[in-house]
Order: sequence, then C-alpha cells, then structure tokens
Amino acid sequence: MNALIKLEMIKNEFEQELAECRDSGRVEEIRVKYLGRKGELTLVLRSLSELTPEEKKEAGKLANVYKNEFTEKIHNIKTKMEETSDEAEQGIDITLPGIKPALGTRHPLTQTLSRINEIFISLGFSIAEGPEIDSEFYNFEALNIPLDHPSRDAFDTFYVDDEYLLRSHTSNVQIHLMQGQAPPVQAIMPGRVYRPDAVDATHSFMFHQVEGLMVDKDVNFSDLKGVLSIFCRSMFGDDIKMRLRPHFFPFTEPSAEVDISCIMCKGKGCRVCSGNGWLEILGAGMVNPKVFKSVGYDTEKYTGFAFGMGVERIAMLVHGIDDIRLFYENDIRFLNQFK
Amino acid sequence: MKLSYNWLKDYVKIKESYEKIAEGLTMSGSEVGAIEEYQNDKIMELEITSNRPDCLNMIGLAREVSVVFEKELLLPDMKLSGAIKTKQPSIVCVIKSKKLCPLYTGRIIENINVKESFGKIGDKIFSIGLRKVNNVVDITNFCLMEIGQPLHAFDLDKIKGNTIIIREAEKNEKIITIDDVERELEPGMLVIADDGGPIAVAGVMGGKRTEVTEKTKNILLESAYFEPISVRRTARKLTLSTDSSYRFERGVDKDMVIPSANRAVSLIIKESGGEITELIQAGAIDYDKVPINFRIKMAEKVLGIALDPKRVEKILKSLGMTVETKDGAIRVTPPGFREDIRSEVDVIEEVARIIGYSNIPAKFERFVPQIERKEKSRKVDEKIRNLITSLGFQEIMTYSLVNEKGAGIFPEINKPQVSLKNPLSEQHQVLTSNLIDGMLKSISWNINRKNNNLSLFEIGKAYYVQKEKRPYNEDALLCFALTGTVRKSWHEKDRDADFYDLKGCIEALFDGLKMETYFFDKKIKGVLNSSAINIGKEMKEVGFAGEISGKILKGYGITQKVFLCQITIQEIIEKFILEKKYTQIPKFPFSSRDISVLCDETLQAGKILKSVNSVKNKIIRDVRINDIYKGEQIDSGKKSVMISISYGQEDRTLTEEEIEAAHNTIKTTLSSALGVSFR
Repeated sequence: MNALIKLEMIKNEFEQELAECRDSGRVEEIRVKYLGRKGELTLVLRSLSELTPEEKKEAGKLANVYKNEFTEKIHNIKTKMEETSDEAEQGIDITLPGIKPALGTRHPLTQTLSRINEIFISLGFSIAEGPEIDSEFYNFEALNIPLDHPSRDAFDTFYVDDEYLLRSHTSNVQIHLMQGQAPPVQAIMPGRVYRPDAVDATHSFMFHQVEGLMVDKDVNFSDLKGVLSIFCRSMFGDDIKMRLRPHFFPFTEPSAEVDISCIMCKGKGCRVCSGNGWLEILGAGMVNPKVFKSVGYDTEKYTGFAFGMGVERIAMLVHGIDDIRLFYENDIRFLNQFK
Repeated sequence: MKLSYNWLKDYVKIKESYEKIAEGLTMSGSEVGAIEEYQNDKIMELEITSNRPDCLNMIGLAREVSVVFEKELLLPDMKLSGAIKTKQPSIVCVIKSKKLCPLYTGRIIENINVKESFGKIGDKIFSIGLRKVNNVVDITNFCLMEIGQPLHAFDLDKIKGNTIIIREAEKNEKIITIDDVERELEPGMLVIADDGGPIAVAGVMGGKRTEVTEKTKNILLESAYFEPISVRRTARKLTLSTDSSYRFERGVDKDMVIPSANRAVSLIIKESGGEITELIQAGAIDYDKVPINFRIKMAEKVLGIALDPKRVEKILKSLGMTVETKDGAIRVTPPGFREDIRSEVDVIEEVARIIGYSNIPAKFERFVPQIERKEKSRKVDEKIRNLITSLGFQEIMTYSLVNEKGAGIFPEINKPQVSLKNPLSEQHQVLTSNLIDGMLKSISWNINRKNNNLSLFEIGKAYYVQKEKRPYNEDALLCFALTGTVRKSWHEKDRDADFYDLKGCIEALFDGLKMETYFFDKKIKGVLNSSAINIGKEMKEVGFAGEISGKILKGYGITQKVFLCQITIQEIIEKFILEKKYTQIPKFPFSSRDISVLCDETLQAGKILKSVNSVKNKIIRDVRINDIYKGEQIDSGKKSVMISISYGQEDRTLTEEEIEAAHNTIKTTLSSALGVSFR
C-alpha cells in the first residue's frame, strides 16, 4: 500500500477515535496506539527506510507533520478534559443526603462497664471473672453468710440443684481469686448476677455488678476511701461529694454504704434522690477476717477492702434512664441514643 | 422500724432538732429514710440492718442517740410492782423442745379490766404504725416497741386444761391465728399448745381461740426466748412476718425476757387493775459472755488512723460494753443485746462508726504503678466488639434465663440444659444454651415497632451441663444477625440482605482477626443454607451461619428473612495473635490476570478456588472471584465464573513468561480437576 494513503487512513482513524473519546484513560490508550513504541504512526516512521527515496521524502515529511499534529491534539484534549472534569462537579446537589455507612453501637451497659473497668485499670487493678453458676460455698458460706440467717434475706437466690445456684452477687469471684493466689490481690470482678425479683422499672431478675478487692499488708479503711473517691469523681464528675455510712454486710467489717451527692440536683434534693440530696451507689468495707480464713489467708498479716456496685444503676444515673427494662428490650431507638 | 421523735425524748434528753437526730442516726448506721409529720411529732422511717436487732426498739435507738450525741440514757423501771398472790399459779408450763425454746415464762394476772385503748401508750404505738386493740394488748405491743421483747397475752379462761406445752407441731395440725386465717402446721414449727391443741405459733402469732377480748377477765402473759432459726423457718413457711417474728429471728436480748414481762405486768396492773401470781418458768438461759481481745494497734491497722485509747474506752462503755484493761491488753465484753459483736473487727467497727466514717480521711498513697495485666480473653473480646461495631452492627443484651423452647431452639447445636429449681416464671426458667432465641426476640420487638432493617450482635454465654471438671459450664458466644434492607438510600435501589451479606461480615470479622475462614455444608434443622464456619489452617469449626427457616421465624412473629450466625469465642481467643509481626511491603507492583471459567451451574465456587489454590507457585499472591455470569452467550445449565489472579514477587518485576507459565498451569489444573472450559 502506498505509504501516503496509509498515513491518510491512520490520520482519519486517529481523528475519529479522538472525537469519540470521553475520558482521559481512553486518550492515553489512543496515544499508545498511534504514538507509542509499537504505535501505528511510529511503525510507519520506522518503515520509511524500505521506501524509494522520493516516497521516503514525501511520506517522511507528512509522517512527521502528523506526529506533531497528533501529539498536539492529544495534549490539547487532555488539558481540556482536566478542565471540564473540574467543572463537571457542578452536577452534584450537595444538599442531597450523603450515602452514610451504618454506625455500629455498643450497648449502654457495655459502655458503662468499660468505663468502670478503665477507671480501675488506671488505678492498677486487674480484671477477674468467675462462674455465674456456682456452689453455695462460694456464694454464701465462704463469704460468712450462714444458712437460715436473716442476712440471707437480701440474697434470695435461684437454685439449679441442691448445691449449685445462680450467683446473687459477683463476690463469689473474690473467693475463687483468693484461693488461686497469695496476696497482694488487686482486682475488679465484673459480671452478671441473678436474684428472684419480679421485673419492674427498678428491678430485674438479672443484672450486672462490679466487685472490687484489694488485699495486702496494711490495706486500710483510709485507702478504701481513697480508691472510692477517685472512682466516684472519675465516673460522676470532679465536683461530686462522697460519703460513707456504716452498714452491714456479712463479708466485710467494718462495712459501709457509699453515697454520692445527687448528680441531678447537685445535692439540693430532687425526685431522683428522694429529696435527700444523696444517691446510694456502692457497698463497701474491710474484708471480714472470716472470709480470709475460708481461703487460708493469714488474718494477722493481711487486711483488705472490698466493694461492689450495680452497673445498671450507674448507667441509669449517668444517662438519666428511668426504667431498667429498657436495657433488655433492645429497642434500636434506645440503643441508637448511645452512639 | 419507725421512730417517734417525741417518744425518743422519754429516754434521752435531747435538744437537737429532728434533722440533726436523723443525720446522727444515719451516719452511725441506722439509716433514716422518709420523715413524716404526725400530730406535732416527726416519725422517721429507719432501715435497720439484720445484725442490729437491738435497734428495733425505742430504747435501743435512744442508746444510739445517747452515744452519738454524748447524752445520758434514761431507762424505764423494769422492777415488778403490784402485790403477788401467794396462791400457786393454776397453769404449768412444760418445754418439750429445749433446743427451740430454752426459756419460757408466764405470769397470770387475774381480775383485770379489758377496755378499749387508752391515752399515751395507745397513742405512742399508733404513732409508729401499730394498731390499737385494747388496753392490755396495747401494753404488750408498747413493751415490744420500747424494749424489743415480744410478749403475748392469752385469755386464761379459754386455755383448755392446766398444762401448757411448748413443742413442735404434729403432722397435719392446724391453728386459726388471730388474723382469722387457718394455717397448716408441720413438724419443725414450734407451737404453744394446751389440751386442745396449738394456741400460738411460737414467736410468730397467737391463736384465735385464746385471744384477749374485752370480755377477758384473767390473762396469761407470755415472755420467752425462741430460737431465731426456728422462728425464721416457720415464718417463711407460713409466709407470715410479724413484728414479733421479725425480732425473734434476729435475736432478742436474752437478759430482758423476764424484766420486759415485769414492765408489762406493772403497766397492766396500773392501767386495768388485777392481781398477779408467782412467775411460771420453764427452762433457763445459760450463756457465757465471752470477752473479746481488742488491740488498739489492730484497730489502727484496719482503719488507717491513730486512736486515743481513752476515747475508744469511753465509746465502748457508752455502748454498754464492759472494758477491762490488764497488762496493756484490753478485753471487751459486749452486752446481751449485742450478740452481733463476736470478734475484734466487730469492736473495731463500733469504734469506727461512732468516731464517724467521715472523720477517717481518704488516702491516696496506695496507688503504686502496676504492670497492666489485661487477660488475652478481654483483649480479644474488645477486638471483636470493635470490629463488629465498625461493620455497622448494634450491640444488644438479652436475658440468659429463657423458656424451655427458646433454650432448645436448634436441637443439633444444643447441649444439655440447666434449669432452675425455683423459677419466677415459665418464661425465664432455663439458662440458655444459645444466643439465637434472644436475638430473634429482639428482632421481633423492633419489627413490631416498624424498625425492619436491623444489624444486631450480642456477646453472651451458653450455659450447659457437662460433668467433666465442674457440673455446669459457661461458654462465651458471639451471635450476629442481618434482616431487612441493606443500606437504604435515594442513590441506589433497595436490596434485601442476603446470605452473602452475612457471609461478608463474617469474613470481614475474621480478616480483622487475621484468620482465614472456610465454609462447609452442614445440615442444621431450621436453618436454610446452613453452613459450618471453620477458621485457621487447621480449619477448626467455630460456629454456623445461615438463614433461619420461616417456620422458626413464625414462632417469633417474624415474616421477613433473617440471616444469622453464632460463633464460639474460645477458639478465637486461643488462635488470636496479640503482637503482629511486620512483613515488608512489596516494592514491585503485582500484575493481575483473569480467567473466565465455563462450568456447570451447580459447581460450587469454592471448588474452583480450592483447585486454583492447590497450584503451588509462590508468585500467585491472591485469587478472587470477580463475576458470575449466566444468560446470553452461555448455554443453559452453565455459568461463567471470572477469577482474577494476582501475580507478584517481592524482589523484582515478573517477566511475561513467568506469569504466562503460572497462568497456564492454573488453567490446566482447573480443566483436569473439574473438567471446565474457558471462554
């Protein structure tokens, strides 16, 4: 074929393809097709040596003109495309809602538990867990709660057989923990507990507790107050007040109930705190030596403190939730509020 | 227990306001709740802990107030006043069960005048919530609330025979108590009986037959000590808790059995006249008051403050304790009404609560830096929760107590159930062995409230019987489910969630945990396209995934498709690698080649992938399925599967020939292993 005709055909084809081209990727393809190392125009230029001198002169001249022309056209269309692509964004309606990926959420109780854990971890406590189905020994006897004693009234319990029960508090983990290690002990024990209470806005037969335990030489009541005061202020705010009232728990002596100044009314008295300005949030005390005896700790050498709190109660206070049942209904309109 | 502010003043001269008194009581351990106004008086509702029966009466509370506010305690006269008839009592008491009743006393008062309630005594007991009955019963109740000793008056003339026996009830014995209820008794329950049978349930409630009425002329006044455990069991069995049983089961003051009766007798004679006989007494209480060794040093060690021995001694004495100091050692003997004080720490608590917990400072020097000891299981738990919430799932929390049907929802994956002996209801009587029941309940709850598009997850436990190490076991599980429309927006067409959405989430989760996943067919009744999820090189089975059958969903009132998986966490914890090791990022880009496999429609994609992966050539870096095509240009019964294979090497760019060779090996392997062709 005549080289000049071939060049004409290449030119026509090139221009048609370029005219139909809509994106810069395709422009690059076209460039490679015609001007690349194995490009059609490049091949013509390389094959010039096979031609007669006259043909060679004419075709060579034309091929070089086309090469420059093609290069320029490709450059121009690329530049134009870059400009128009900047303008094309005008087709977007920025007021339409975006395509939002779904956000997962953690259950408010898990969030509260994590918060409690974090605070105690920062104080050097480790986290221990224990069985929910446990024997009477761990739930009662080892904790100095004898059978047929009024102190068991507060611990009505679900039984699964004559010996095993659903723990009514996480204090059972204290015993497992101490049986397994010598002092010092410094741990918190979160988990599920069960009591046969009919369900209403403030009662549930299943709920969560966090138990804390610290045992060493010379751990005392002052230290307990220190730990609890840091916890309360971290959890509920630096400005809250805390007070300890004497109370009775079979597994601690002296025992205390811990109140914080009402986080709703700042202690002035409101519906949440029944008007007295204080909210009870914890039970605590110095570990009763009888408990140490049940795990074989030397009661002359070691002292310790323990405390326990209800996670639901704390979550309800922090978030202003007025019905404990909401935690277990799993209504997404509830769960979504804790993103 | 209710406390009258005005009545309190009979025993302790206080000038402090009722608010101050309430505060003082609360901060020393007798928590004051609501305070009500009643006829110029303030009635405080107290929460008395089970170890302090001594605070279940006015004198006990007055003692607390007297110690806290450092005032004198004024005790009433407990001596017997009135003439004693010389004649012998007409009644004899016999204790058959000394264990349950070590001491029983009675006093006959003759020719009394029973009238309606009167004056101050009636008003006082009424102010703290007791019923006014008549002058005699009111006095027994007054003494109960004043001293804490329950007393009971029988109509002497209605007692059959002349012997009162304190014994355990016989089988099938019955009594009509003064609340007009017939109660069935059983052995183990202590009763007071005459010739006609039981006339009182000891320490709990008297019988109707011998009740004191306005016609009563002669009475027998009972004052006794009943064993706490027995009274407690009886009251619980009869589901009958009275002011009397409440005190007996916590323990009354053994020293006050007779003085209390004396006080009541004196008041009755003063009020309604009458003559008394000698005391009828059966049994006696012998108990030793054991002194406790108390060390100031130990108290200081426990409390963390320095104590003044003189102040400590003063506090203990004011609480009624005997304090002896011998050779520097202190021996403390608690009074009869403080049986809760048995050891050194009990004494320490007394000191602490009177000094005031608020006077013990908070110390912070205990916080020494500790090496973080977070268990691997907690780290993995945390990791899973992070991954799955980042996939858009919302966490739920469900009851671990479910009904029998829910606990056994999929028999194939079910382990032996743990049931409660004393459930609250059928709905919550079994510990669940799956998280599926709770998940479906939560889905149903939300769909019923018009929220149909849900991605939910729960990390919880399965409980089951397995008598290896312990009789019962608890395994951590992860369950997640998808239902409804996937990502609803104006931008794309709605699409219902399907199996692949669920599978994708499972794969993404394990990608995040750096574990490979494999899915195998596994038949589970009630699950469509049910498959076993296997992980790691050993292909350990960790759970299952699939679509819940319509039949099961119907039971939960769900009519849309639900895709769900349940995974055991233990295996993941074991396999999880906490510290990831860095591998060099390839410096030379990989190149990708496609193969279009033409095969039978029924051929599982997994077989194609497995076949490709069986080619051992380290330049094959990744194999994935890009497209499945059926329809035009493809014969019916066939499908086209497009696989993309990525080739590469860390240290150089591969040559065309190397890639071509590997690519051809894959093709040959595919066609010889599966008999497929290529497009």
